[in-house]
Amino acid sequence: MKQASGEKCINLKLKVWRQKAEESNGRLESFKAENISKDMSFLEMLDVVNEEIILSGKDPIALDHDCREGICGSCGAMVNGRAHGPEKGTTLCQLHMRHFSNGDTVVIEPWRSRAFKVVKDLVVDRSAFDKIIQAGGYISVNTGGAPDGNAIPVPQEVAEKAMDAAECIGCGACAAACPNASAMLFTGAKISQFALLPQGHPEAKKRALAMVGEMDKQGFGNCTNEKECEAECPKGISIINIARMNREFLKSSILS
Amino acid sequence: MHWNSNRFILLLSSSIGKKLVMAITGLGFCIFLISHLAGNLIIYAGNDAFNSYAERLHTLGPLLILAEIGLLLLGIIHISTGAYLFYQNFRARPVRYKKKRNAGGRTIGSSTMPYTGFLILIFIVFHLVDFHFVEKADRSIYQIVLETFSNPGYTIFYILSMVVVATHIDHGFWSLLQTLGIDNLECMPVFRVISSAFSLFVGIGFGSLPVFITLIT
Amino acid sequence: MKLDSKIPDGPLSEKWDRHRFELGLVNPANKKKFEIIVVGTGLAGASASATLAELGYEVKTFCIQDTPRRAHSIAAQGGINAAKNYQNDGDSIWRLFYDTIKGGDFRSREANVYRLAQVSNGIIDQCVAQGVPFAREFGGQLANRSFGGAQVSRTFYARGQTGQQLLLGAYGALSRQIAAKKIRLFTRRDMLDLVVIDGKARGIIVRNLVSGKLEKHSADALVLATGGYGNSFYLSTNAMASNVSAAFASYKKGALFANPCLTQIHPTCIPVKGTYQSKLTLMSESLRNDGRVWVPKIPEDKRLPAQIPESERDYYLEEKYPGFGNLVPRDVASRNAKHQCDIGKGVGDTQLAVYLDFKDAIKRDGHDAITRKYGNLFEMYEKIMAQDPYETPMMIYPAVHYTMGGLWVDYNLMSTIPGLFVLGEANFSDHGSNRLGASALMQGLADGYFIIPYTIGSYLAEASHDKVDEDHKEFNTSYNEVEARIEKLISIKGKRTVDNFHRELGNILWEYCGMSRNNNGLKKAKKLIKDLRAEYWENVLVGGSEYDFNQSLERAWRVADFLQFGELMVTDALERQESCGGHFNENYQTDENEALRDDKLFCHVSAWEYRGNSRKPKLHKEPLKFENVELTQRSYK
Repeated sequence: MKQASGEKCINLKLKVWRQKAEESNGRLESFKAENISKDMSFLEMLDVVNEEIILSGKDPIALDHDCREGICGSCGAMVNGRAHGPEKGTTLCQLHMRHFSNGDTVVIEPWRSRAFKVVKDLVVDRSAFDKIIQAGGYISVNTGGAPDGNAIPVPQEVAEKAMDAAECIGCGACAAACPNASAMLFTGAKISQFALLPQGHPEAKKRALAMVGEMDKQGFGNCTNEKECEAECPKGISIINIARMNREFLKSSILS
Repeated sequence: MHWNSNRFILLLSSSIGKKLVMAITGLGFCIFLISHLAGNLIIYAGNDAFNSYAERLHTLGPLLILAEIGLLLLGIIHISTGAYLFYQNFRARPVRYKKKRNAGGRTIGSSTMPYTGFLILIFIVFHLVDFHFVEKADRSIYQIVLETFSNPGYTIFYILSMVVVATHIDHGFWSLLQTLGIDNLECMPVFRVISSAFSLFVGIGFGSLPVFITLIT
Repeated sequence: MKLDSKIPDGPLSEKWDRHRFELGLVNPANKKKFEIIVVGTGLAGASASATLAELGYEVKTFCIQDTPRRAHSIAAQGGINAAKNYQNDGDSIWRLFYDTIKGGDFRSREANVYRLAQVSNGIIDQCVAQGVPFAREFGGQLANRSFGGAQVSRTFYARGQTGQQLLLGAYGALSRQIAAKKIRLFTRRDMLDLVVIDGKARGIIVRNLVSGKLEKHSADALVLATGGYGNSFYLSTNAMASNVSAAFASYKKGALFANPCLTQIHPTCIPVKGTYQSKLTLMSESLRNDGRVWVPKIPEDKRLPAQIPESERDYYLEEKYPGFGNLVPRDVASRNAKHQCDIGKGVGDTQLAVYLDFKDAIKRDGHDAITRKYGNLFEMYEKIMAQDPYETPMMIYPAVHYTMGGLWVDYNLMSTIPGLFVLGEANFSDHGSNRLGASALMQGLADGYFIIPYTIGSYLAEASHDKVDEDHKEFNTSYNEVEARIEKLISIKGKRTVDNFHRELGNILWEYCGMSRNNNGLKKAKKLIKDLRAEYWENVLVGGSEYDFNQSLERAWRVADFLQFGELMVTDALERQESCGGHFNENYQTDENEALRDDKLFCHVSAWEYRGNSRKPKLHKEPLKFENVELTQRSYK
């Protein structure tokens, strides 16, 4: 394989948040990222930087990442103040260096929210999302005994809307980008998916109350309808799901 | 279906419940503003019409006092809940970003809600002092309006305040539709337009009064 | 050691029913007395955890990611097969069984594959009940699409994110059991060793990836659902953390490893661009439903695709296989792409790519219809390649994707270590030497939802299980060995990074043990890997420290295992002197360059027994008996 040619390469200055552990103090540390091919993904650029750090005997930058195809939701960081970087509808692993220019300074920070504690460097603990799902983000059906898949017809339009909501990858960009560190897009997407599908109806009330209650308990902020979550969501999930959650929640609270 | 007080407390203590409180009290203010504006626009009909409107309003007596108490309560609830939400939201991100940019979701209205709300509070205090608690024995309300707006400094303050009110409503009205769960994908653009139109209507409606008055005096 | 596959007697279609009846049961009141460890939370692990907890067992579930929802099943795009015959196009359990066994080039067990086809329909029902938003027709019925290797339309899908939706369904079921306190979840844990006591699997040693501390966990039975070993090749479509270490540790503790040379190279991936590349991205095979594969007729044709007229394009799959056209099985499609590139007809800068063209489909069905089917895939392609596939054909090239080999299991999915069950891609059982599209999701969920709940109960009912203490000497021995190996890795402080070694191993395997193989190359690879491994233990440089969140150390452990495992792959490939499915030995091919099986000598599963680092592993053969299908030369003409 040929190395990428000279004119396709750029040099960058990175300022990366370094923090040893949750209780330690952190700070921005500068690194040089040189000879970065524009075809690289952002994470591949960090791989190159980390290889250099390891060779110099220092501790490499920690960052969650796994599938590197934008679906697992592991990766994520604030890049120049934008969740998953400046491109719309993109996770960090799918952000390519062709969107940067030679000489750019790139500030990289972890997601910030009271509910997301920093584990190390850019790695944060997003188990608060799991807790919200555990509170009711499922349909209570045991294995076995399900009726035929076609027993309940689901209009195509409904299935498509449910799928729009179900695309959430749980990366946390919504809460990270929200001026109030609110998790309402995440929670609203799950509540919406099941509120739309007939299978979710029997538990709809309980689900809305329990999931919103857990979301509040985890310490996320309140939605003020700023739409930053929608703008940064790598899957483009609409805030209409928040409206639907509000409706479900109010229905459950008042009409019970 | 039955009333469940525990459930109600739970609702109000939840994030969405507090948003609901903001939405409903906000909606109350929107309705008030419409009726207030409808009354004020009678100024355009001249001295007599406006004064007789004011007189008829005052014949309502206890009803009017009830409405005033209602508005006061709305105000207290809207402001205290808003302040608490502001505090909670501030606390939700104890470590701030070193660098943060907007992604294009925020508007001037949405990002300044607590601040425009605070400015409106200041305006209301002045407004009440100037028009509500003012000595009215020897002058008609029409005269009071005329005299107050004869001060150009006050006129500018008033018009600027109406810009702030419009900004607040521009986000607030749409926001309450979203909070009440009325919003949906098909209607969202329409609701946005309605909200902006409403804010313009209120802003221009009130803001044009001092201009009109300056012109006729 | 005698391999007993425990395949039940009786006619094929009755085997599973009969077996279920004969399996022992655990009294409902006793189930809570049994602890089961599940490692991995992909489709197989999550579905097994949830179902076992629903039955009443105490389950401890482990995953390497920060949350179980991120396991790599999530990346499966195209769909999941089931023999529903909703399309009335002639599908049946028997046809799904036959397609799978034929697609696997007759190297899997009839009984396992038939059972897989049997339970496939229940999976769809289960997932629909969980609220998986499968694609629907206008009338509200479930939609299907066709997939490689089949002539019926039996694949259920949720846009291009079927794996994600199925996994989130299983994750929901898992979450429900966590909330019910029937499952204890351990995230960010890496299984580094298996603990065997009195011949039975009784526990694991895991490393807490945040603190770096080792932990001991005991149980009455263990379920491994740790995925495949595709990352041996460095570049693959697997996730970065996918590894062979848990399976390999079990192999070292006595579990036999079956058919390690059988790997699947997926035909439709985004081509490699540079040496820095860290992973390959798959484009769902469903694209071949509407996309047409072609290369220029003249080698070394440097013109842009738009400048090449129709008459100068070679639609080689359609020409060579008129029956299946672009929908031939993956191994056939991959090898043909490689062949076109080998003879100089490859396209793009590297000439290691072929075109996948949607022009005709867009003309026929319209832009919107194509967007509905493949919108997210087109977006993904555009993001990576900065080219718009609506305007210009995609470039694709094969990449390592799935591994058919895995730990040997019997019909109950139990390995050769009693009490150690292996599910999903981590076992070897259902796909023979080539997996058909949309079958991996089916197998993972079949194993987890519908097979392990029965078979593990029988194991627990039959044997006596005294509680073991986590201070048992076997636990301590394992613990100390793991600790020593970590300390060794950290202390080498050599000159080459872990990734640097891994990349070299990947190159060796891709070159000599990839899409096509020959004996000389394999012998050479064996030596190269051995040398590389020796150098690794002298010259590797691991960043960071032991008791810390240390991703460099995580990889160092995994690559150490890949280096050893790579040799096993090559050994197995050398042993199998035939071609079948994903194992294409150039010395064995038909006149038309198709894989030529040797059913006399190699109609068996090769299961390898570990005998120490320096001795060659011992080969055990499980003969494959075909009583219901006729072994034929696969033909997709």
